[in-house]
Amino acid sequence: MNRTLLGFIKKELTQALRDPRMKFIIFVTPIVQMTIFGVALSTEVKNIRLAAAFSAGDTVLRDVYENAINSGWFVPARAEGELAEHPFEMIRADKADAVLVPPPGGFTRALGRGDASLQLLVDATNATQAQAVDGYLKAIVARTVRADTGLAPPPPPIRFDVRVLFNPSLDTSIFLVPGVMTMLMVLTTMVLTNIAIVREKEMGTLEMLISAPVSKSEVIFGKTIPYVIIGMTNLPLILSVAVFLFRVPMRGSLAVMVLATFVFVCTTVSMGTLISTFCENQQQASMGGFLFMFPAIMFSGLIFPIQNMPASVRWLSFIDPLSHYLSLLRSIMLRGGDPRTLAWHMGVLLVLGLACGAVSFRRFHTTLS
Amino acid sequence: MSAEPAVEARGLSVRYGDFTAVDRVSFSVARGEIFGFLGANGAGKTTTIRVLCGLLPPTEGAVRVAGRSYADGERAIKEKVGYMSQKFTLYNDLTIGENLDFIASLRKLEPSYYARRRDELMELISFKKGLGEKVGALSGGTKQQVSLAAALLHDPEVVFLDEPTAGVTPAGRDRFWKLIRRVAGSGKTVFVTTHYMDEAEQCGRIALMRSGKLVAMDSPAGLKKSVFPEPVFEFDPLGTLSFAALAAFESHQAFSFFEPYGPRFHAAAAGPEAWARWRPELEKTFRIREIAPSLEDVFIRVVESAA
Repeated sequence: MNRTLLGFIKKELTQALRDPRMKFIIFVTPIVQMTIFGVALSTEVKNIRLAAAFSAGDTVLRDVYENAINSGWFVPARAEGELAEHPFEMIRADKADAVLVPPPGGFTRALGRGDASLQLLVDATNATQAQAVDGYLKAIVARTVRADTGLAPPPPPIRFDVRVLFNPSLDTSIFLVPGVMTMLMVLTTMVLTNIAIVREKEMGTLEMLISAPVSKSEVIFGKTIPYVIIGMTNLPLILSVAVFLFRVPMRGSLAVMVLATFVFVCTTVSMGTLISTFCENQQQASMGGFLFMFPAIMFSGLIFPIQNMPASVRWLSFIDPLSHYLSLLRSIMLRGGDPRTLAWHMGVLLVLGLACGAVSFRRFHTTLS
Repeated sequence: MSAEPAVEARGLSVRYGDFTAVDRVSFSVARGEIFGFLGANGAGKTTTIRVLCGLLPPTEGAVRVAGRSYADGERAIKEKVGYMSQKFTLYNDLTIGENLDFIASLRKLEPSYYARRRDELMELISFKKGLGEKVGALSGGTKQQVSLAAALLHDPEVVFLDEPTAGVTPAGRDRFWKLIRRVAGSGKTVFVTTHYMDEAEQCGRIALMRSGKLVAMDSPAGLKKSVFPEPVFEFDPLGTLSFAALAAFESHQAFSFFEPYGPRFHAAAAGPEAWARWRPELEKTFRIREIAPSLEDVFIRVVESAA
């Protein structure tokens, strides 16, 4: 290998790994964050405070309530007495998230009359939670009614036969952990590259560097290859946390995983380089990194499904490297990796990386102006 | 070969948009010369140096450094020159050895050549601490000496030192200039900018820049003679002078130049008749003696008073 490139790699790695704080940031924080985010980030709705206004003889509604509490999704709302307050008031005063209200005379008797209406009041200030509550309770009511009275609840016009694939328990950590992995990989690679280049500009060392007869590609590759290496060393760390701690399956091949990660890391390092060509100091570099990261996470499909985005902005997901790596991770880890899917996403990443690299190359000069 | 100057600039101009940083500058520097480059901040010294180092292609004109020009390719000049920029350009978080290793790899030096050269240069700067010393822990003066060694690593024919002693202690500056003389003595051309007049005195020749133009160029003694053809006097006030009195002297018709110099003043007579007429009067306020002008007087007259 070219002596200049080797010198660069040695120097960058020495600088990045000498400072114990930096070492901690590069190797320990991703593991800590993986663990924290994996545990904390969940779209499951739990601990919903439920109240039900049942009278002593209303056995079916009492069973519905008890089944709901036993399901683990709900906890009893703290209500003094037997619904001393108006159900609406309970929600307004934030004493309950959901209240079941039977028709006059009780739910059990109403069922006997063949009138199976039951009112559910639900606090929809958190829309995601409200939808979940609605879904959970419908299922619980149907199950309880069938068990208690042998009556089938009124069938919906279409019966869905839902089969949950790849994640039968609908465990959200299996869905979310690849997202967290994506975020951490981009953080260490893109931000580090960006800062490392801008720091040379700010300190004036870049001027010393290009006063030597070095070529453009020697400087660019010399400044980026070390961060591809550092990024790749992060993969085994966070992959271990995903597989061993969160039990995310690893159904695809490890070699394909390494290849996909390599393509992604090259792309993010390339983007970091591009951002650095627009920044003069480290403040701007941090800001530039943040301005990239925020939309990159939003449009990656990590938090909001890409399918729900209007077509007019969906192209942002297409040019968002995070969305492709996220798809790659989910494909390789959860579905075992379909070659055409993998080739497509890696292809797009490669094109994005090359495009950013080409622009950076044009914008970088070994002379001053 | 030896007749060719080490550095030559012809009609050199650098413009950034509408701003002209360097305006049609021409000069040449002989091999082995210590050439001083003086001027106020923003006069165009650093820009000129960057052009001469191969870092900044000129907008107009041509330069030839150690026999190379921009026409020979982007890296042609860089291969032949050493450059120590105004900002400190070693990595504080690396050791001296690591810094030098990196520079050697940038210049693709042969490992055996590099090892020998490094030891030579450490001896030149009489550096006693080990190569394992972190650069960030060194004093300002030592850092600059190591920077000089780094700029000399590839044995360049010409070295450009942009304010190498800014922020260095007087003893450190003295040591640094001994090194500069030693480097020039070994046949290298040293091109140096400084704001210190005692340093400028040590240069073989000095060029003065003002607003991008070269306004004077000669040896220190030659400059003093050409800039002050009239006699120069030192005025030592006998008592305390009020601001008003001082202002009156500054615009006094007896003087063509009147500037504070420590607790005293340096002045040049406007003409023999005026001087003969006013001298008895002035001697009531000052003790007057004729002196040779200092380089600082030259600098003030040429670079600052005309602005």
